[in-house]
Amino acid sequence: MSTAFTLMLDALTKQRGVRASLVAGADDGVTIDSNMQIGQEGTRVAALAASLYRKARRSAKTAGLGATGFMQLEAEAGRLCIIGSDEIVLIVVAERDANIGLIRVEMLRATKELG
Amino acid sequence: MSNGPGDDVRLWSDELASDPSSLAFLPLAETLRRRGQLDLARKVAMRGLERHPHLPDAHDQLARIHADAGNLQGAYDEWAIVRNLVPGHVGAMKGMAFIRFHQGELEEAERLLLDAQAHTDDADISAAIRTVRKSGTTARVSLAMSPEVAADPRLLFADLMANELAAILLDSDGLVLAGAYYAEDGSDIAADVGATLTGVSAEALRATRHLDIGAWRAIVFETEVAVVNLSPAPAAGALGPGGLIVLVAPAATPLGLLKRLLDKCIERARSWLSSGGAT
Repeated sequence: MSTAFTLMLDALTKQRGVRASLVAGADDGVTIDSNMQIGQEGTRVAALAASLYRKARRSAKTAGLGATGFMQLEAEAGRLCIIGSDEIVLIVVAERDANIGLIRVEMLRATKELG
Repeated sequence: MSNGPGDDVRLWSDELASDPSSLAFLPLAETLRRRGQLDLARKVAMRGLERHPHLPDAHDQLARIHADAGNLQGAYDEWAIVRNLVPGHVGAMKGMAFIRFHQGELEEAERLLLDAQAHTDDADISAAIRTVRKSGTTARVSLAMSPEVAADPRLLFADLMANELAAILLDSDGLVLAGAYYAEDGSDIAADVGATLTGVSAEALRATRHLDIGAWRAIVFETEVAVVNLSPAPAAGALGPGGLIVLVAPAATPLGLLKRLLDKCIERARSWLSSGGAT
């Protein structure tokens, strides 16, 4: 079943080094749509990613730093990229050597298109 | 019409291939720098400089690439060339001052900022001058074991922090162990910021375990005015796993400088914790 996000997620997952892309609720982290090669763990990761993003937004607000944009978690063998709004978060799981600059640009563009 | 950054890179590369003296090397090098492809960006910028050795923008571009790569002296030298070519170049003076500040040469940093201030009415420069002057009194506090830090752990990172930078060390509950984060009104909001980040380390650990991508190294997020870097704090002394070092810098801070500063903060925290801090 396709949703309003399906084409966008397909395009993101075609980027070199991207293993999965998901859209989840910003408040509850429940997956709305996904394009995954990482099995069921994706839904748990969406919840954790949404929670991390909420914390980032809260801390930025507390510090008076304005709206939060692109966020990435770097690990030894991969990256988790997140960007969101009040309602949804867009999440990308990528390999360590993926072109993060390009992924960031594509995620910013996708978020803009979603309004 | 280009369809994205990849297309632009291809267009600029093609233009340079057909006309090696084209100025397309400038946006090409900048795009590569922003992507973090610093070696390639440097090669493109240097090739451009061979054709345009007196072009200030080309030296400015190379300076930014050097700064991102952590080559502070190289960046300083390139900005010095810019300044020779355009004596009132405010960007070059600010860049040189920023580097001198990080090298601990506060008098020269202040002199450069005063020169820049003479050419523009920029509130950021005035704030930077105040910070450099304030830091003059704390720069001598360079050891984690100093009596000043022992008496007030908020000073732990003080000598490492330039204008509008802040660093704090949190335990796994988000409680502030050291460092300070001053809001515009002068109040220390470190505890409030720390409280919002409670549990980040545990969640990052769980996410990376689920994804099987190894230990997490950093969380970086951008805001309208800043870039915030969260890193695992060293588990040393009284601090167990799950602590965080939070570094906040202006959005325009080169990533190379941010990384360098973060490394210094981590080392400082390790030294302080190992020597009995936070007990």
